[in-house]
Amino acid sequence: MRKLVAALLLPWAWAIAENPRTLAIRNAKIVTVSGPVVNKGTVVVRNGLIEAVGENAPIPAGAWTIDGEGMTIYPGLIDSLSTVGIPSLAPAAGRGGRGQAAASPTPATTPATAVAPAAPPAKGPEDRPATTSWVLAADEIDPSDRRIESVRSAGFTTAVTFPARGIFGGQGSIIDLVSAERAGEMVVVPAVGQYLAVSRGGTAFGGFGAGFPNALMGYIAYIRQVYLDAEHYKLVKEAYARDPRGMERPEYDRALEGVLESKRILLPANRLVEMDRMLRFAAELKQPVILYGMREAYRAEAAPLLKKYGSPVLVSLHWSEPPRDPDPEAERTMRSLEDVDQGPAAPSLLQKAGVPFALYSDGLDQPRDLQRAVKKAIDAGLARQDAIRALTLSPAEIYGVADRMGSIAVGKIANLVVTKGDLFYDHTQIEMIFVDGKQYKPAAEQPADGGRGANEEPGVSQ
Amino acid sequence: MRKFWVAALVTLAPLYAENIVIQNATIMTVTKGTLQGSVVIKDGKIAEVGEKVMMPQNATIIDAAGQYVIPSIIDCHSHIAVDGNINEGSVAVSSMVNIKDVINPEDIAIYRALAGGVTTANILHGSANPIGGQTIVLKMRWGKDAQGMIFEGAVPGIKFALGENPKRPGNPPFSRGIRPTVPARYPATRMGVEDTIREALNEAKAYKAEWDEYAAKVARGEHPIPPRKDLKLEPLKEVLEGKRYVHAHCYREDEILMLLRVADDYGFKIRTLQHVLEGYKVAAEIAASGTGASTFSDWYAFKIEANDAIPYNAAIMQKKGVLVSLNSDDAELMRHLNTEAAKAMKYGGVSETDALAMVTINPARQLGIDNRVGSIEVGKDADLAIYDKDPLSDYAKVEKVLIDGRVYFDRESDLSGRPAKALEKQKLIDKEKQSRPRPSGGRRPIG
Amino acid sequence: MRLPGILMVCALAAGAATNNSVLIRGADVYPVTSAPVKGVSILVLDGKIAEIGAKIALPKGVRLVDARGLRVYPGMIDSATQLGLSEIPAIRETVDTGDLGEFMPQLRALSSVNPDSEHFPVVRIAGITSVITLPAGGEGGGRFGAPRQYISGQAALIHTYGWTWEDMAISGSAAVYVQFPTLGARGGRGPLPESIAELAGGTGATFTQMLRTYQQEVAKLAEFFDEARRYQKAKAANAPGLVRDLKYEAMLPVLDGKLPLAVAAATPRLIHDAIQFADKQHVKIVIMQPRELGSAAAELKAKNVPVVLGMVLALPHQQDDPYDQAFTLPDEAYKAGVKFAFGTFDNEFVRNLPYQAATAVAFGLPQDEALKAVTINPAQIWGVGDQLGSLEKGKSADLMVTTGDPLEIQTQVKHVLIRGQEIELTSKQTRLYERYLNRQ
Repeated sequence: MRKLVAALLLPWAWAIAENPRTLAIRNAKIVTVSGPVVNKGTVVVRNGLIEAVGENAPIPAGAWTIDGEGMTIYPGLIDSLSTVGIPSLAPAAGRGGRGQAAASPTPATTPATAVAPAAPPAKGPEDRPATTSWVLAADEIDPSDRRIESVRSAGFTTAVTFPARGIFGGQGSIIDLVSAERAGEMVVVPAVGQYLAVSRGGTAFGGFGAGFPNALMGYIAYIRQVYLDAEHYKLVKEAYARDPRGMERPEYDRALEGVLESKRILLPANRLVEMDRMLRFAAELKQPVILYGMREAYRAEAAPLLKKYGSPVLVSLHWSEPPRDPDPEAERTMRSLEDVDQGPAAPSLLQKAGVPFALYSDGLDQPRDLQRAVKKAIDAGLARQDAIRALTLSPAEIYGVADRMGSIAVGKIANLVVTKGDLFYDHTQIEMIFVDGKQYKPAAEQPADGGRGANEEPGVSQ
Repeated sequence: MRKFWVAALVTLAPLYAENIVIQNATIMTVTKGTLQGSVVIKDGKIAEVGEKVMMPQNATIIDAAGQYVIPSIIDCHSHIAVDGNINEGSVAVSSMVNIKDVINPEDIAIYRALAGGVTTANILHGSANPIGGQTIVLKMRWGKDAQGMIFEGAVPGIKFALGENPKRPGNPPFSRGIRPTVPARYPATRMGVEDTIREALNEAKAYKAEWDEYAAKVARGEHPIPPRKDLKLEPLKEVLEGKRYVHAHCYREDEILMLLRVADDYGFKIRTLQHVLEGYKVAAEIAASGTGASTFSDWYAFKIEANDAIPYNAAIMQKKGVLVSLNSDDAELMRHLNTEAAKAMKYGGVSETDALAMVTINPARQLGIDNRVGSIEVGKDADLAIYDKDPLSDYAKVEKVLIDGRVYFDRESDLSGRPAKALEKQKLIDKEKQSRPRPSGGRRPIG
Repeated sequence: MRLPGILMVCALAAGAATNNSVLIRGADVYPVTSAPVKGVSILVLDGKIAEIGAKIALPKGVRLVDARGLRVYPGMIDSATQLGLSEIPAIRETVDTGDLGEFMPQLRALSSVNPDSEHFPVVRIAGITSVITLPAGGEGGGRFGAPRQYISGQAALIHTYGWTWEDMAISGSAAVYVQFPTLGARGGRGPLPESIAELAGGTGATFTQMLRTYQQEVAKLAEFFDEARRYQKAKAANAPGLVRDLKYEAMLPVLDGKLPLAVAAATPRLIHDAIQFADKQHVKIVIMQPRELGSAAAELKAKNVPVVLGMVLALPHQQDDPYDQAFTLPDEAYKAGVKFAFGTFDNEFVRNLPYQAATAVAFGLPQDEALKAVTINPAQIWGVGDQLGSLEKGKSADLMVTTGDPLEIQTQVKHVLIRGQEIELTSKQTRLYERYLNRQ
């Protein structure tokens, strides 16, 4: 079978001469993450997998060799919560809101206030509003999404992409950011957990036009009802499967099927109060949970709370910024000042407390922005190696794929980032990226502030 | 070694509930008269009240000479400490939602309520629905998390609403040509409000029958598949079973009477009528049904259904035998329910004790928590408010508030803590300013 | 001293017995502008206070009110209401404040006052004998969705009793109400809670944009004043072909310095700008409903600009603000030497005016200052300090007889006189009370 495939692929060999199946990078510093740093060594890649790593790793004959003198090789970064690959979920403008993978879960660029729903507004939980729990991100991946290239150029080889829309968006998939012809080539794991949201974007006073649910408590009640229904559905299905005779058959409900198939859920939480609420809620639903957002994770009460529940969390790199062009006489709240001042300290506090966490881009897709965001965390106390781990092995562990990615180890997928200079230093350049063993050059960087709206005060830097 | 143990005890001491004695005060117990004396608190409960008391060991003394101690205030109608919209107004019956899911223990309104002498509040869903969401009673334990705020053991509630508010979504504004008209939501009239409530209770009755049948089967040793749990109907089932209190927002006498009769038809009692501004017109009927009334002291004519509101409402209802409380429904008003009580004395000649009762023991009884709070009696929770003057005077202000025998508000500490807080804040403001270049300063000329 | 009194009495006795004359005997009198006097009498003749003294003979045909054990105070004045102009806020048809239009100084609140509004009896019972009624809308002033309104009309100072608005008028035009442009301070109840502001995506405008808009609006206001001034000049010079313009006509007393502007300005920055504006325009000004004084207090004092404070029982504006921020504002004004009066800015709470004042006392304001702020201060601020606001000979007999301190909730008001006429202390509310108390 393999020979057949190889024979079929042979004609394409010229086309992919740029991407030899066997290559080696040598004389480089290798930060494996799962093991000690190799000061000068070689990484050998064959068929998209890491074949050898080490000071004296043997380079196979015929391998394309790259001289990595003065360079450092890292595992490719994993963005643990993303919408890259689903173009319709790209943020409408510049930056997305914090704690949401997309700026607005509603598709396209309809302004939040004038939502004209395609379906009539829901009259209750039975209408299953904003629920597409059966969707797998893997089925929606569009390899032509421009963001694939730009995010990859920032050092990300892998994204955990979620169909982040509605209340039950569907399950996320882990995708490797190769430039592929078919989406299927990108998928590493098709289903990693259900994406849940407790708002639909838009105004808080969204009115009755949008249907049920409208208030936060409505969303929570709806989610609770769905899980109750799923439990009941399962009971009935199993009973029917055991012996259908004389029993009314249960109605097929794909929303519940989707919920039952999800092995974990993702819930948003930025404030401490929200973390407490969501952890409690997930425990009530008996669902393993990953919280995302985590703006107030720097607060003293946060780490012990998270430790108590043992759930991993995804910390947004979109740190709170002071308002641009603020009214000089406007008062900021103490809380918002602390968010700005101490927000980036969250990762180091979580690290010290032993809370499993990963960092995610949360809409930041320019290398400069990402590098600066990670640097802020490092400046606030996160060890550089822990920062790297939080973008590589930790997300792999959280999603249960640490056996195949997240570090540079034999047998793992060849997702690598090669830099001149240590990652997350100001002047570090990304030289090349390898995804599934395929080599890519980073794209030219976008100019600063491109597409984010005019800055009213020229000369005021960010 | 001994030093170690002493040190350990000293550091551990705050973990144990302190003994506190509030002494030399005018104590208005509400249920057992007023006296000059002291209150002894042990383990968070009132241990002794009297002119002379036994001083426990290691008690913290609060000298309240010239001051007044009352049972801290209970607000029977509040919307503070909630995250998100207070209404799930998209559907006419939103009994599936629960305030308990969205408690925000960091709402500054909690602290401000404390500073106004309130320590317990009945947090209600809004009034956009004939049948609204489930409600909860909280203690204003500022600093605790959401769970820590919950009044343990209080009977859960649910909100009903009658009159203009729940029918507003049924009468959406005309389209302005720019925005599509919001679809109308049934009901649009008081008739529809009654119908909506009856329909929902009807459904709940059938649901209950389903579950009763299931229980009976199980009791017989069978293993049937349970019915589907419906979060909308569960709380209504509990209402029918008398396990959940109904708090009904209402104004006009016709709708008040309507609801009492609907409850009769379905075999349960409304626990409290809220606002009930025309309650004085049907006070006899309310008294006969054993329903409590929780009202404003003197709000009137802000909408047409409040047009016949009179400040004598509480006095008349009380006279006719209704259990009356005064509430705020407002984060500002809840800070001075003591003076709202004084208004009941002004309008209708309610006695001082009865007036104070309207914000203490009466709401406690209405919420079924009078075994724990609402008066200064031995065995009850040490939930107390200390005022510098007679609390029924509008010259009085709150000095200290205790919940479960712990000081949660102290005006002196609040005042003395302000400079440090301001300094801390200024440090962060300055730090932030330094990390960004200033825009061109100076005052800009005005036209 | 007695002779003129007797002569006056005789003169009156010659005429028909009037119902605006009365002798109140045996009370503790609190004139406000002088020390209280115990156990004296007040003689009211023809609607004015004729005499206050220990022994006053009861003139023929004059009614006697036995006020032993009671107190007499000047009737209270609320410096900001919508009485007579708004009945039920939720029903637009009953609301006549806040018309459309950017510059509407010609609108007269006075002649739209409904003397039979249910609110009047309610507030009379509470001892409020005169009020300013404002042409401005509720919070924020303008109508929702309409272009911003700069000048809302002429506020009127009225008695709370009269057959017609003519009857009730004290100053048909007491001030021209201006909604000064706002910057930063949101109108109404204060800033959005952060969570909502977050969801709403902020105001959408940067400060620079808001500042620019603000400056443009202030300039526009100034331009209107310039136009009015040009009209004034042309009129004074009897310029040929000058068409009478009602808007500019309404501005003439303001430009002459006879009529003050009542300017709504919430924050120190806005107060400062409003004062500067008034300076530049050479007009008098009263600041309405400031939420904070801060650095503006000294300027208010230096320029002798009085202030009408809104509800004392109000929440702090910002999350971190001290809980008693609004309670201490009156004392702050007092300590800074700023002259102030209280206004409720809401019909429903006018009867609670004295209790707002009492709260200020609880948090530091001297007792008698609080009383002044609902009596003589508003009288002086609105230019009728010689007619109202205290119990002095020659002033209008607007007074209340109480069982005690009127700022205390439990105090009952036993008698109210407006222009010497005793007011029946009944209202729809008292009638409903009687009726349902006695329902069998």
